[in-house]
Amino acid sequence: MRRVLAAAFVVTLGVVGGFAQSPKSITSSSKSKSAFAPRSVVNKYCVACHSESLKTAGVVLEDLDFSKVASNAELLERVLRKVRTGEMPPAGMPRPDAALAKTFTNWVISALGRNAAAHPNPGRAAIRRLNRAEYSNAVRDLLALDIHPGDLLPVDDSGYGFDNVGSVLSVSPTLLERYLSVSRLISRLAIGDPSTKVVEEDFVPAEARRVGGARKQRNEPGADDLPFDSSGGLAFSYYFPLDAEYTLRVKLGGGQVGNDPRPRYEIRVPVKAGLRTVGVTYLRESAKAELEAPWLINPLTPPAPIPSLPAEMDVRLDGVRLKRFEVPHTGNLPPQVTDVLVAGPYNPTGRGKTASRARVFICRPSSAQYEESCARKILARLSRRAFRRAVTNADIQPLLTFYQAGRREGDFDHGIEKALRAILVSPDFLFRIERDPAGAIPGTVYRVSDMELASRLSFFLWSSIPDERLLTLAERGRLHLHEVLNQQVRRMLDDRRSQAFVSNFAGQWLYLRNLALAKPDPDVFPEFDEALRQSFLKETNLFFESVLRKDRSVLDLLGANYTYLNQRLAEHYGIPNIYGPQFRRVTFTDPNRGGLLGQGSILTVTSYPNRTSVVQRGKWILEALLGTPPPPPPPDIPALKSKNAEGKLLTIRGQMEQHRSNTVCASCHARMDPLGFALENYDGVGKWRASEAGTAIDPSGQLPDGTQFVGPAGLRQALLNGHRDEYLQTVTSKLLTYALGRGLEYYDRPAVRAIVRKAARDNYRLSSLITAVVSSAPFQMRSTPENVSHQEIVATSHVSTQPRDRNSSSAARRDGARAHASQKHGG
Amino acid sequence: MVPALTLAKNTAANPTARLGFVYVPNGIIMDRWTPISEGAGFAFSPIMQALEPFRDRLLVLSGLAQVNGRALGDGAGDHARAGATWLTGVHPKKTEGANIQAGISADQIAARELGKTTQLGSLEIGLESPTLAGDCDSGYSCAYTNTISWRSPTTPNPMEVNPRAVFERLFGDGDSTDPASRLASLNEQRSILDYVAADVNRLKGGLAASDRSKLTEYLEAIRDIERRIQKAEEQNATMQLPVMERPSSIPEEFDDHARLMMDLIVIAYQTDMTRVVSCMIAREGSNRSYRSIGVADGHHSVTHHQNDPEKIEKTAKINHLHTQTFAYLLDKMRSIPDGDGTLLDHSIILYGSSISDGNAHTHDNLPLVLAGGGCGQIKGNRHIRFAKETPMNNLLLTMLSKAGLHPSSKLGDSNGFLEDISEV
Repeated sequence: MRRVLAAAFVVTLGVVGGFAQSPKSITSSSKSKSAFAPRSVVNKYCVACHSESLKTAGVVLEDLDFSKVASNAELLERVLRKVRTGEMPPAGMPRPDAALAKTFTNWVISALGRNAAAHPNPGRAAIRRLNRAEYSNAVRDLLALDIHPGDLLPVDDSGYGFDNVGSVLSVSPTLLERYLSVSRLISRLAIGDPSTKVVEEDFVPAEARRVGGARKQRNEPGADDLPFDSSGGLAFSYYFPLDAEYTLRVKLGGGQVGNDPRPRYEIRVPVKAGLRTVGVTYLRESAKAELEAPWLINPLTPPAPIPSLPAEMDVRLDGVRLKRFEVPHTGNLPPQVTDVLVAGPYNPTGRGKTASRARVFICRPSSAQYEESCARKILARLSRRAFRRAVTNADIQPLLTFYQAGRREGDFDHGIEKALRAILVSPDFLFRIERDPAGAIPGTVYRVSDMELASRLSFFLWSSIPDERLLTLAERGRLHLHEVLNQQVRRMLDDRRSQAFVSNFAGQWLYLRNLALAKPDPDVFPEFDEALRQSFLKETNLFFESVLRKDRSVLDLLGANYTYLNQRLAEHYGIPNIYGPQFRRVTFTDPNRGGLLGQGSILTVTSYPNRTSVVQRGKWILEALLGTPPPPPPPDIPALKSKNAEGKLLTIRGQMEQHRSNTVCASCHARMDPLGFALENYDGVGKWRASEAGTAIDPSGQLPDGTQFVGPAGLRQALLNGHRDEYLQTVTSKLLTYALGRGLEYYDRPAVRAIVRKAARDNYRLSSLITAVVSSAPFQMRSTPENVSHQEIVATSHVSTQPRDRNSSSAARRDGARAHASQKHGG
Repeated sequence: MVPALTLAKNTAANPTARLGFVYVPNGIIMDRWTPISEGAGFAFSPIMQALEPFRDRLLVLSGLAQVNGRALGDGAGDHARAGATWLTGVHPKKTEGANIQAGISADQIAARELGKTTQLGSLEIGLESPTLAGDCDSGYSCAYTNTISWRSPTTPNPMEVNPRAVFERLFGDGDSTDPASRLASLNEQRSILDYVAADVNRLKGGLAASDRSKLTEYLEAIRDIERRIQKAEEQNATMQLPVMERPSSIPEEFDDHARLMMDLIVIAYQTDMTRVVSCMIAREGSNRSYRSIGVADGHHSVTHHQNDPEKIEKTAKINHLHTQTFAYLLDKMRSIPDGDGTLLDHSIILYGSSISDGNAHTHDNLPLVLAGGGCGQIKGNRHIRFAKETPMNNLLLTMLSKAGLHPSSKLGDSNGFLEDISEV
């Protein structure tokens, strides 16, 4: 048995990380590299400063032993990064030529790679509670209840750029109070509570809530869920808690206050329980174009007096018209919808047949004597999904107690509701807990169980709990098998649930989430409104999704010549002949618009409310794309001088150039500003402009390495040609951080490089990067906390394997892993 | 070091004060903040103008410092360190996420004691949602800029920005507020908590110490709420119903949001749901714009004014708006009768920042105002200037003492009390 397990582990190593090399390549590479002595390079270029006596920056390379890679890995990673980015040796000191530097870094990379293969250190993510997005999705997938309850929880802190980092997801009494409150709401809606009291809820169009709501009205649908031939209005999802009557009441703008004699636009309708879309909209007059009121399409046509016929306002439910109101008005466009109020349930007739009830009630007791066994069956199934593991009687029994208490005060369904509420506050549901193998000594490296792997996968790609398929494969111990795993990743990416990956990973990596908070100044950018904000977001989401699902390369994120546009966005970008509110793929002929750097979302979140910021845009490129964020500015910066020595007024570019003449400032601004200046043709909301305040924009720049470029297209090429490797390493690092829910450490760097190398075979398809992340050592493995020194581990290295007591995975201490690796290398 | 505390009795003769800590980010334009003269009858500076009506219940405190907000070898990150030090006086650990650590904050030390008699130990209120993506400050976790309240050195308390959530924390989320249904709801909560606590204990078995600590946090939260439920049951019959409608969502305008949240703070004090509140008028490092007062630029970007008069003017406008928000709170508190005086008479509310000059990120000579009568223990109408580098934590320690707590040892970097604030 032990041998089988050991063999399984060897196979795993071959799969994970992709850094295990064949014996042949090891031999040949060590032979060919034998001529190269890294020590000579270090002696010649480094030790003058990094000597025992000088210890510049606390780094001593004088007696670094290159034959002991394992114990020097952290330092070697640091050396590698500095030499690779050209930061070291510093400018002005003797530097190795490019070829020698490359030979040196290649030597270090392969030495570190071999070391990582022999001594994998997958690290250890902290125990993690679900964040808000995960909570919402888990409830949706557990109960077929898509009501985003996570929005009712306190906002999560983030670390390393992501809000799924376990160590910063803290637990407070406030949070627990919210869990208690939200669990009650969810369980009542999922089961249906006949005692639900009448409530009235107010829905307001996003536009009306924003500051400076005096934007122009557009003759186009107010939301995606409204018909093409509609204008204005709003649509929203509403969960009707019971089969009952509800009132829908519309409030219109334009002074409906006090004892306004205006009729009440209200209907009372019987509605079946469940999640439905409520829509209120005006019928669009076919003569009017979408853009504006007609006279604005052609400025030469004077405004024609329009007879104020009553506008026709429809109230819709799930796309079906419930009632058409005639709204008298005097203006050119009918009064805006300011509120829609939903009140109910009145005269409830039952819990109804909702998707949630169908999901929960897998059995119905035919008589009282079968109630308990049916309850047990329901709760076993729910808790297995919710807890993401096999459940035992010890799990079910306490839940049954809640069921019984509920059953005593109400009916069977009420009992289930009470037990469901307990499931939703259970730490098994709220926390992702991974267990070390029983009796494992500190520093043990082991594969996580298949069940744990199922959760790692589903939270990575769906931000949610595993589905039945993943759980079943995990239970059978098959999920970790190479073929099975790759199939599952493919399936998961094709599933709609992977939209969560776009909104959570891309949303944070690219700062898209900040778009919701962006408040462009309406005086400077009058064209910006809610519709444009939503269109920006949708464009980038669709674009990212296309790269994800159509198997495109992550290089296309920067270099693609297409995007997704609707009429609104096309007008904003100055692209003709795109009509209608629906999004479609559009190929650019203009090389400047294309890739993320030409998208309004990114250009807006990197701007100030009233102007562009070359510094923020440059910083975004350095941080998000190249992984080399500049340090923040020192305090007390000298003021930008608005005039030069001769008293001549300077442009922003001129001021920034002056600023960079200060060497302290220059060290960072020389990196940020030219990147930002290349994008100056896009204004603070991403609209193209040739000049600013009467001065033609000069979008030329030069990178510190001397590469010259002009404008967005030039910048894109400079990034893709000269900085491809940094970009790929950065995307991969962000992916791995997000996948693991922890910050990356020096010992993760070999895995990052191995993932990039693996994905290279498929031209860096995003899906290949994801697959390589999933098969990497840090994703599949874990180590027990290290609280003994390295020497002690070595001293006990004769124990090579420790079979785990669960599933078919095996455990091995780190040097045990090396033994297996060398077995494989030996044949 | 957490001071050992003993609680004074809350009697009519010796009422216990409410404590409040109201934070503004990014410093203040100091030459328009600090009064020129010292002592009694000082002239209010332009930014502080809105506070003049409360002169007799107000102390302006100059010269105090949070020196642990300085880099001390950690490089950039003054905003993160400002938020983390204001109520702790502890130099925070520089980390993007792993092992965040500051110190227990003064409000939480107070909450442990004052919370023994109220349903909520403390209330944490924010007026700006945490940033949603990107880094917060120079390699520091966003936790440091998002909160000023630390339940323990490793557990930051989230600031609640949603008025509805605050309302429900105070008064529950039931359909009904009648005592019987509240009691039933509390009983149900209690049984769920029993189940959860048992489950947590079961899960903790076999976990590594680092993993157990997260579950311990959860257990502590459970205990906290159990204690609350017990209080709620005791006080259920006499519980005052709120005179406020359940708020729906977060108002878009700063002013509307701020007033609603200030109203909730006052109601929390008034109904004695809690005696300790901390509030962030905006996140530390906030780059929010305030169009209602004509500042379309981000707050943080104008504070780095580099002596540009226009940016200084805009910063001062924001400072003024924030002070007005505080004045609104004080005005409300003064309008609420409480025992032999008003709520304001029986409160000690600190207002200020952990940065003085936002352009230079200085952490000394902090802008601070102490409002409230402290139940007769604080003598207002004075501007007091303390010796340079006097730890602000001396003030925090003194506030705890005036609130009837008897801290017996130091707090953060404190080295004494500030007896000057009494002088009665």
